[in-house]
Amino acid sequence: MGRLATLLPIIIGLGLCASNALAGDLAVQVKSTAGAPVADAVVTVYPASGGDTGPIHFDWPMRMSQQNIEFHPFVLIVPVGGSVSFPNLDNVRHHVYSFSPTHQFELKLYGRDETRSVKFDKAGTVALGCNIHDKMAAFIKVVDTPYAAKTDANGALVIHGLPPGPATLHLWRPYMKAPNNELTKAITAPAVGQISEAFAVEVHPPAMMHSMY
Amino acid sequence: MFRFRRLRTKLTVLYASLFATVLLVMAGVVYSAIASNVEHVVQGELAASGTVFDRVWALRTTQLENGAGLLSRDFGFRSAIATHDAATVQSALDNLKTRLGADTAFLIGPDGAVTPVGDPGPIKRLSAAALAGLQSDDAAAGVMMMDGAPYQAVSVPVLTPMPMGWVVFASRLDRAQMQGLERLSAIPLDASIVYRTQTGWRDPAAAGRDNGRITTFVDTALKLAAPAPMPLDEGAGRGIGLAKPLQSLDQNAPAVLLLRYPLARAMAPYQLMLGVMLVISFGSIALLLFGSWALARDVTRPISALEDAAQRLKDGEDVTVGVETNDEIGRLAGRFNDMAAEIKAREQKITHLALHDADTDLPNRQSLEREIVAVARQAGEDHTFVAALGVDRFSHVRGAIGHTLFASLIRELGARIRQSEPEMRVARLSSATLAVAFRAAGPGDALARAETVAKMLESPLRLGENTVDVSLTVGVSGCAENAAGVTSVIDRATIAVDQARDSRRRSAAFDAVLYGDPAANLSLMSEMRSSIERGHMVLHHQPKFDLRQRTIVGAEALVRWTHPTRGFLVPDLFIGMAEETGHIRALTEWVLSQAIADQRAMAAIGKKLAVSVNISGRLLSDPEFAEVALALVEGADGEICFEITETAVIENPELALAIIDRFARAGVKVSIDDYGTGLSSLAYLKQIKANELKIDKSFVFALNESQRDALLVRSTIDLAHSLGLQVTAEGVETETALALLSGMGCDLAQGYLIARPMPMNQLLNFLADEAEGLKAYG
Repeated sequence: MGRLATLLPIIIGLGLCASNALAGDLAVQVKSTAGAPVADAVVTVYPASGGDTGPIHFDWPMRMSQQNIEFHPFVLIVPVGGSVSFPNLDNVRHHVYSFSPTHQFELKLYGRDETRSVKFDKAGTVALGCNIHDKMAAFIKVVDTPYAAKTDANGALVIHGLPPGPATLHLWRPYMKAPNNELTKAITAPAVGQISEAFAVEVHPPAMMHSMY
Repeated sequence: MFRFRRLRTKLTVLYASLFATVLLVMAGVVYSAIASNVEHVVQGELAASGTVFDRVWALRTTQLENGAGLLSRDFGFRSAIATHDAATVQSALDNLKTRLGADTAFLIGPDGAVTPVGDPGPIKRLSAAALAGLQSDDAAAGVMMMDGAPYQAVSVPVLTPMPMGWVVFASRLDRAQMQGLERLSAIPLDASIVYRTQTGWRDPAAAGRDNGRITTFVDTALKLAAPAPMPLDEGAGRGIGLAKPLQSLDQNAPAVLLLRYPLARAMAPYQLMLGVMLVISFGSIALLLFGSWALARDVTRPISALEDAAQRLKDGEDVTVGVETNDEIGRLAGRFNDMAAEIKAREQKITHLALHDADTDLPNRQSLEREIVAVARQAGEDHTFVAALGVDRFSHVRGAIGHTLFASLIRELGARIRQSEPEMRVARLSSATLAVAFRAAGPGDALARAETVAKMLESPLRLGENTVDVSLTVGVSGCAENAAGVTSVIDRATIAVDQARDSRRRSAAFDAVLYGDPAANLSLMSEMRSSIERGHMVLHHQPKFDLRQRTIVGAEALVRWTHPTRGFLVPDLFIGMAEETGHIRALTEWVLSQAIADQRAMAAIGKKLAVSVNISGRLLSDPEFAEVALALVEGADGEICFEITETAVIENPELALAIIDRFARAGVKVSIDDYGTGLSSLAYLKQIKANELKIDKSFVFALNESQRDALLVRSTIDLAHSLGLQVTAEGVETETALALLSGMGCDLAQGYLIARPMPMNQLLNFLADEAEGLKAYG
């Protein structure tokens, strides 16, 4: 206890350092209506107070690699203005494109170990496809908030350091049955501690991509 | 069962209907075999066509889907969509639409906005449900209604990889399409797409037709586990239908492929065959009708001839049927002719027998009647007469010469008449009576001519070895005469013979007055009983005078009948008839009981008289009468005497004598009436145990004039007395006779001198007067 008592001020101190204020955590659990964990669901939180307005930095690599005729990762959260590299780790060539209004681009046929880089300067969803391989699909979520994370294989995520007070939570997932694949919820972030949110969503498997043609 | 008037018609109708029945059955069998076979084939074809359609449908779907899928993945197309380059998108769609041969192509955006190619009209009228069906996650294919017409449509999402829209191609399922499908089938079936509307299943190709039947049919068909052909009647004849459910893009408007085939169409190829069969059938029936008619005519012609001949034979004509053939009918005709000849011969024989006497072969009475009619027609009834010629002492003559010779005699007499008087028509009426019908100027002339004939016939006849004399009595009557009850002139002539014999003349014309009216007299008998009840019949009594005591000791009861319409009736008339008709018993019983009653009335004034009642000899053989009579007599107040008249023959003398004995034992006095006349004889006196004998008035009348009669009366009285009988003399009308009888020792007298028969009241007065000695006899 004494130990904890000595550590606590340090943590608080760290928190204060990061946010200049008190901060809480948000834990989100996303499951399908059938109860299976839903991975790759993106949660973004917009505190009413505005929160941290400094440059956004996420601690995962800004990279969308192509390996085994697949994009990795399936969903990538990218801050506005962030650049994403598209390394081709396959022996075949890919033609990566996006027709999404958020950011339309095309990386014409490039081969192994070739890396192209794209800068995303507008928040939104960018659906990626390969013109050569129809079944390849991936999504880049360009966010303009530092409070963003995606669920792991267990459908769980935690966002730390939310400024206390009301905030808007957005839950987005490819193929989720919702307008623009997105749900919105008002939450109140605690000053200290953690709140939990749980979602049960319906996700349609990505349709025909794989089969018929 | 209808009865035919003619054999020919019957045969013809029978043959024709038999043949027609066989034809009908055959036609029915053939038709039902064909129909069943056709139905079977059609069902198989429908099922096969259904399978073919499935295949064609799948091919077309695949083709459309392939095209749409290729387009949806085309990078340029996708970038055109992404860059909202509508013109490029439309041109790409149009290009592929043409290549695929589709009718419509359009793009649906993620927000449901439609980018059409060409006329946007129909697409705008797409239902929300159809639009939702097109915006499928996966490729979708099926039927879609657009602008009221069915389309085969495919929809493929444009994935980038998120759906950025849907490419839709649709081919109109119009008549041409359906015809294409129909051509694939071996049989000319009808194919159409029907879809569900609010009011039921609708066939766009058959607008205006009765959807109710189609709705019922499809609803029923969809309930089946698997599509199967079923009977379908759309009101235009029987058919077979197959409903195959189709994938529909609009879940609110399901669609069905309806294959149908009217059986009439299936039967069409057989129509010619059936028609030919029908023509052949009618032809053969006509041929058969003609043939059987001709055959029947040949068969029935001789039968008709026979029938006609039989009819004429019945009418009495002479007929012969021409024998034409050697078969049964020919032989029948031969037999018929034999029969007709036979009948003719027999008829002549019978006619002869009917009109002739078998013994003498002279015409008989029937024949004479015809002759009379013939003569009367020529001469008139006033001048037509019949004379009957009766052989006198017939039985005597026949007994003398024998039956055979007697017949020869009659025959000879007939022959003589014919010879001497050819215009006279001769006939034999009975064994001993001949008759002639002839023409004469009047009754006198007729009688004279008949007498002439009789005289001519009475000349001696030679019969073989013997010479025979006959005498004849003649009776004549005219046709115009009309006597009550005797309408036949022949009868009148024979009655005239009897009348002549009765009056011992050789000839007589019929005397209607003499004949009277026997029939009317006969009817009296039926009135007798009612006459007794109404008092029309009364008893009169004629007193009997005792010649020794010089007083009235008895009375004879005599019946008197005053008929309401005919007046007083002579007792001889109705008593004789009562004896003949059996009414005598009732009459006698009444007389007896009335006489006993009257006797009691006399006794009441102190006059004890013996009362005599006449008993017919006929009643003496009636034991029942004897019982009744004895019972009545038992109640009598005085002596009763039965006067037995022997006018009638006593039929059973032994029985009669026994009954008379019973009367005697019962104390009834028995008197023999009318002694000396009729049948009375000494034999009576010997047999009957009588108490009294009454001498007939015919002897008494002439008593004082005829010595012989006086002698007879005297000896009769003596005879009776010596036999122990009392003697009564009847018909005493003079004092002289009374004196003579008294002198002869007669016991009692009866007659007008003493008293006439009188009714009861007069009798009572008479008796009273007599008692006062007011009467004296001699």
